[in-house]
Amino acid sequence: MTIRPATLALVAFFALSMAVFSVFAPRFASPSNIEDLMGGFSFIAILAMGEAFPILTRGIDLSVGAIVALVGMVIFDMSLIFHVPGYVIVPTALAVGALAGAVNGMLIVFVRLQPFIATLATLATYRGIVYAISGRQLVEGLTTTPIRDKWITGIETYFDLGRMLGIGRMVHLPAVPLSFLLMLGVFVILQGVLLFSKFGRSVLTLGGNAEAARLAGLNTGAITVICYAISGVCAGLAGLMLVAKLTTSTEGLGFGMELSAIAAAVIGGVSLSGGVGSMFGPALGAFLLGAILLGLTLLQVSQYTQQIVTGCILLAAVGYDRLLLLRRLRRRLANTG
Amino acid sequence: MSTESPVAQGHTRRARLFRVLGPNALPIAILVLGVIFAVAQPAFLTADNLIGIVRQVVLIGIMASCTTFVIMTGGVDLSVGPVLAFGGLVAFFCLNAGWPLALVIFAGTTSGFAVGLISGAVIAFAGLPPIIVTLAALSIVRGAALTIGGTDQHLINSWPDYTFIGSGMIFGVPFSIFIFAVVALVMIFIQKRTPLGLLVAAIGDNERAAYLSGHRTRLTKMLVYGISGFGAALAGIIQTAQVHTAIAIYGPFGTELDVIAAVVLGGTSIMGGRGSVARTLLGVFFLGIVNDGMNILNVSVDIQLIAKGIIIACALGLAARGN
Amino acid sequence: MDRPLIRGIDLTKVYGDLVALNTANLTVMPGEVRALIGSNGAGKSTLIKILTGAVTPTLGKVEIEGEYAPLGDPREMIRRGVACIYQHSNLAPAMSVLDNIYLGRQPTSHLGLVAVKRQRQAARALLDRHGITLDLDVAVGSLSTVKQKEVEILKALALEARVILMDEPTGWLSASEVGKLHATIRALKDRGVGIVYISHMLDEIFAVCDTVTVMRDGKVIAESAVVDIDRPRVVHLMVGEKLARESEQAGQHKRRPRGTGEVRLGARRLSKHGVFTDVSFDLYAGEILCITGLIGSKRTELLRTLFGADRFDAGTLEIEGKRVSLSSPRGAIAHGMGFLPEDRHREGLMLDLSTNENLAMATLSRFRSGILLSARRLSKSARLMIEALSIQPPDGNRAVRLLSGGNQQKTLLGKWLTLSPRIIILDEPTVGVDVGAKAEIYAILRKERDRGAAVLVVSSDLEEVLTVADRIAVMVSGRLGDVRDAEATDINALVREIGSQAA
Repeated sequence: MTIRPATLALVAFFALSMAVFSVFAPRFASPSNIEDLMGGFSFIAILAMGEAFPILTRGIDLSVGAIVALVGMVIFDMSLIFHVPGYVIVPTALAVGALAGAVNGMLIVFVRLQPFIATLATLATYRGIVYAISGRQLVEGLTTTPIRDKWITGIETYFDLGRMLGIGRMVHLPAVPLSFLLMLGVFVILQGVLLFSKFGRSVLTLGGNAEAARLAGLNTGAITVICYAISGVCAGLAGLMLVAKLTTSTEGLGFGMELSAIAAAVIGGVSLSGGVGSMFGPALGAFLLGAILLGLTLLQVSQYTQQIVTGCILLAAVGYDRLLLLRRLRRRLANTG
Repeated sequence: MSTESPVAQGHTRRARLFRVLGPNALPIAILVLGVIFAVAQPAFLTADNLIGIVRQVVLIGIMASCTTFVIMTGGVDLSVGPVLAFGGLVAFFCLNAGWPLALVIFAGTTSGFAVGLISGAVIAFAGLPPIIVTLAALSIVRGAALTIGGTDQHLINSWPDYTFIGSGMIFGVPFSIFIFAVVALVMIFIQKRTPLGLLVAAIGDNERAAYLSGHRTRLTKMLVYGISGFGAALAGIIQTAQVHTAIAIYGPFGTELDVIAAVVLGGTSIMGGRGSVARTLLGVFFLGIVNDGMNILNVSVDIQLIAKGIIIACALGLAARGN
Repeated sequence: MDRPLIRGIDLTKVYGDLVALNTANLTVMPGEVRALIGSNGAGKSTLIKILTGAVTPTLGKVEIEGEYAPLGDPREMIRRGVACIYQHSNLAPAMSVLDNIYLGRQPTSHLGLVAVKRQRQAARALLDRHGITLDLDVAVGSLSTVKQKEVEILKALALEARVILMDEPTGWLSASEVGKLHATIRALKDRGVGIVYISHMLDEIFAVCDTVTVMRDGKVIAESAVVDIDRPRVVHLMVGEKLARESEQAGQHKRRPRGTGEVRLGARRLSKHGVFTDVSFDLYAGEILCITGLIGSKRTELLRTLFGADRFDAGTLEIEGKRVSLSSPRGAIAHGMGFLPEDRHREGLMLDLSTNENLAMATLSRFRSGILLSARRLSKSARLMIEALSIQPPDGNRAVRLLSGGNQQKTLLGKWLTLSPRIIILDEPTVGVDVGAKAEIYAILRKERDRGAAVLVVSSDLEEVLTVADRIAVMVSGRLGDVRDAEATDINALVREIGSQAA
C-alpha cells in the first residue's frame, strides 16, 4: 500500500499546525485542550469517514446533518417518552441511520436523481420528520428532562489514562474520552473494509471508472446504496454521541455539520472525482480542523474569523487536490505514445 | 420499421406521456393546488392573500432569477444566504455614514456582485468544483458579515427613503414587488434575447464545445456567479428595508436550498444546459403557493418540511423520466 | 467435430435511423484466431459489444458452447468465459496493477476479505507464464499506454477466458511488443482459446490469424481462411465494389491537387514533445488534403494545435504566408478557421440545444443587433444552411439529440460553414454516419473546395480518402510522410505505408 503525497502533506500540515499553536497559543498543548480536541471532534471524524464513502463513488451526501438530528430525536423519544432500555436504543439508532442513508442511495439508483439533489431533498424531508416526531414539542416538560439511561450516558465517559497506567502522579496525561476510542474503532473497521475487502475494492472501482465497473459485472446499484447507508450509520453514531454529551436532543442538532464532514473529507484527500482516498485522511482532517479552531479560540480569535478561516482551508485543500489531479493527468498524457 | 414488441410499445407510450407531462407538470400542479386550496379555504383566493404570497416570494424570487444562470452552466451557488446578509449590512453601514440613497443601493449590490465574481473566478479559472467553492464562500462571507456586524440588530429607523423599498406601497401593491418584477423581467430578457442567454445554456450543455466554438467560456462563467451575488445582495437590501433591521445572520442555512429548489422545480436541470428564468418563476410561485396554502390550512411546520422534501423528490424524478 | 466456442447468429443493431449492424454472423472455433476487419463504421465495434454483453442487439442471438447466452449482461458473458480488451482503457486509474487484473473479481476468503496472497501468487504465475514484466503495486494510471495494454491483456487472461476479443490491440505497440503479443496469442491458441482479432494492420493479420471476416457498412461481406486469400483481395473487399464505382465517379470529379496555388496554411516543422515531430506541409486554397494513418498516429493531436486548442512546442504555423501564434480557438476562428472534432458528441454539438442554435454557435456575433440576439436573422441563416445541407428533419427548433448521426454531423459541419471559413479542418468526418449522408458530406466538402476554401481532412477510412482527396499524406507514430497527388496513389502502397512502423 503506497502512501499518497497528499496524505503526507496532510500529516505534515497537521504536525506544523500543532507545533505553531503550541508555541503561540496559551494552554494549547495542555491535557485539557487535548481532551477538548478528542471529545469535541471525534464525532466529526466519524461523520467525515462516513461521508467519504459516497464521495468515493463520485457522489456526495448533504443530508448527514439531518440524519444526525433524526437519530437524535429518535433516541430522545425512545428514551424519555417510551422508556425503552438503552441496549435497545443504541442498535435502533444505528439502524435508523442506515435506513435513512439507504433511502438516499435508492433515490440515486432507482429514481435516478443526482446525488446532490437526492440528498438535498432528504435533507429537507428528514428535518421535517424531526419536527414531526419531536418529543420536545409533543410532551410537556421534556425539554428540561435529561436522559439518564446508562447505555447512552455511558458513551460520554473519560478514561483516566494516567491512573490506569499508574503514572498519574508523575505525568498529567489527558483523559481519553470513549468517543475517541469509538472513533478509532470505526476507523479500524472502515479502513479495513476499504482496503481489504472485495466490497472496498468495488467501491474504488466504481468511483475510479464507472464504465469499467459495469463491464466487469459489478452490481453498481447495490454498491451505491451501501455506501450511502454507511454514511447514514456514521451519522447515526455521531448522533448517539452528541445526545450522550448533551443528555438531550434538539431539533437543530447537527445543523451545518455536513459542511464540516465534507470539508474534513476533502481536506483528508478524498477526491471529489471519485476513486481516490482512505479513512485516514478524513479522520485526520477532522482533527486538523478541530485543532485549528480550538487553537484560534485560545488565541482569542473571534468565532467569526474562525468561520472565515474554515472556508479558506477548504478552498486551499480543494485547490491542492486539483493540483495533484492535474499533475496526475499530465503524467498520464506524457506516458502515451 | 418498428419491430417492437407490444411491451416495448407500451414503454414508448409511457415515455411519451412523461415527455409531455414533464415540462407542463408545474403549471398543471399550480392550478391543481390552487383549486384545492381555494376549495378548502376560500380566504386563499382573496386579493390580500394573493398579494401576500407574492410579497413572500419576492426575496427568493429575486435570488432564484439571478441564480438560474449559474445552474444553467452546470454549477451551483450555495453562498446566497450569507451574501444576502452581507449586502444588507454593507447598505446599513453606508446609510449610517450618510451616503445618498442611490449610492447606498449601489454599494450594497456591488458588494454582492464582487463576492460572486470572486467565487466565479476561482471556479472558472482555477477549475475548482462549484459546490465546494461556494460552500467555502458561504463560510467565509458569513464570517465576514459577522465580523463587521456582530450579532447585533442594527436598526434602520431614520431613513424613510430606504425603508420605502421594503415596506412602501404604490397603488396598493408593495414596492418590493415592483423591484422583483423588474429584476425578473430583465433576467428573462437577457436569457431569451441576448447572446449571453444562449451562451450560458451552451456552456452548461457542453462547455468544451462552446470553447471550441470560440467563446470566452471562463469569463462568462465568472460573470454568472457575479449576477447571482448581485441578486442575493439586492434581496438582502430589500429584506433589511422590510424589517427595518440589518443582522449578519440573515439568510440562514436553508435559504440556498429554497433558491435551488425553485430553479430545479422550474425545469432547469442541475446538470446544466437549457433553462428558463420564466420557468424558475413558476417554481418560485409553486413553492410560494404550497407554503401559503399549508399555512392557511394550519398545517404544522414539520409536515410542511416533509411535504416540501417529497414534492421536490417527486418533481425531479418526473423530470428525470421525461428526458 | 469441435463445437464452436462462440457464435453470433444474425445479429442486428439499429440506433434510430442508423443500422449499425445488419444480420451479422460470426463463429469462433477452439484454437482459432479470427481476424475481424473493416473500415471505421463498418460495425466491428458494435458486434464486439454485443458479444461481450455491453450492448443488447435489436435482433439475433449469441450462442456459447452450444447454449444460448442472455444478451446485454456483461456479468453473464464474463461468467461464460468471454473476455474483451477494449480500445479505450477499461481500468481504474488510481488502483494498483494487481487490483486491476482482478477488477471486480477478486478472490475472497470467507469473510469477504480479499485473499491478497492468493491473488498475488496467481498474478505472479500469470506474469511468468506469459513472459510479461509488470510491477504489481504501481497505480495503473501512472503507467505508459503500452504497459496499460499489458494489464488489460492480463486481466483477460486472468479470467480464464475461452474466447478473447481484442479491439485494435496493437495501436500503440512497437514492433517487438507486437511480436510478444503474437507469441502470447499463439500460446493461447495451443490451449484451445478462441481469439477475435480486430485490426487494420494487414501484416499482423497475415502473421497470426487463421481466418478472416470482412465487414462493411454493418454487414459481413466475406469470410475466408487466411491461406486462401491475399492482401490485395482483402483491401479490395474492405474498400469494396463501391470504390471502383467511386473511382469512376471520382474520375468525373476533377482532382485539384494544390488548388488555386495559394498556400492558405503552412505547417513548418511542428513538434510537440512526445506526441509528434517535425511535421511540415502546405495546405492550398481550393484543394482537399487528406492525412490518413492509424489510431495512435497522433493526427488528432496535430489538428488541435493547428486550431489553437492545444500548443505545439517547436516549429511555426503560417496562415496566408504570415506567422501566427494561436492561443485559443477564438484566435483561430478570427483567422477564418473552422474545426470539426472527431468526437462530435463530446466536443462538437450541444445536444439539448436546437439545430438552429447549434448552427449559429460559432458565429453568434454575426446575429447581434445592439445587445440583442436577433432571433430572426439567426433562424433565417439556419434555414438556409439546413436547406443547403439537406438536414433532416428541416425543423430547426428540434433538439439536435433527436437527429440521426448523419444529420448531426451535417449540423456540426453547418456550424462551421456559416463562418464561410477560409480553412476548414475535419477529424474523421463520417464516423458513425450512414452511407447516404456520407456521400452528401463528400459533396459538401467538394463544394467548399470549389468555393476556394482550403480543406484538411483526417481520416482512417481508406475508401473515404481515395474518394475525396486531391492530395494524400500518411502519418505514422507522430511523423508525417510525403504528400502525394491522389491520382498517382496506389492503394497497396498506401496500405503498406500506413501499416509500417516508424523507424
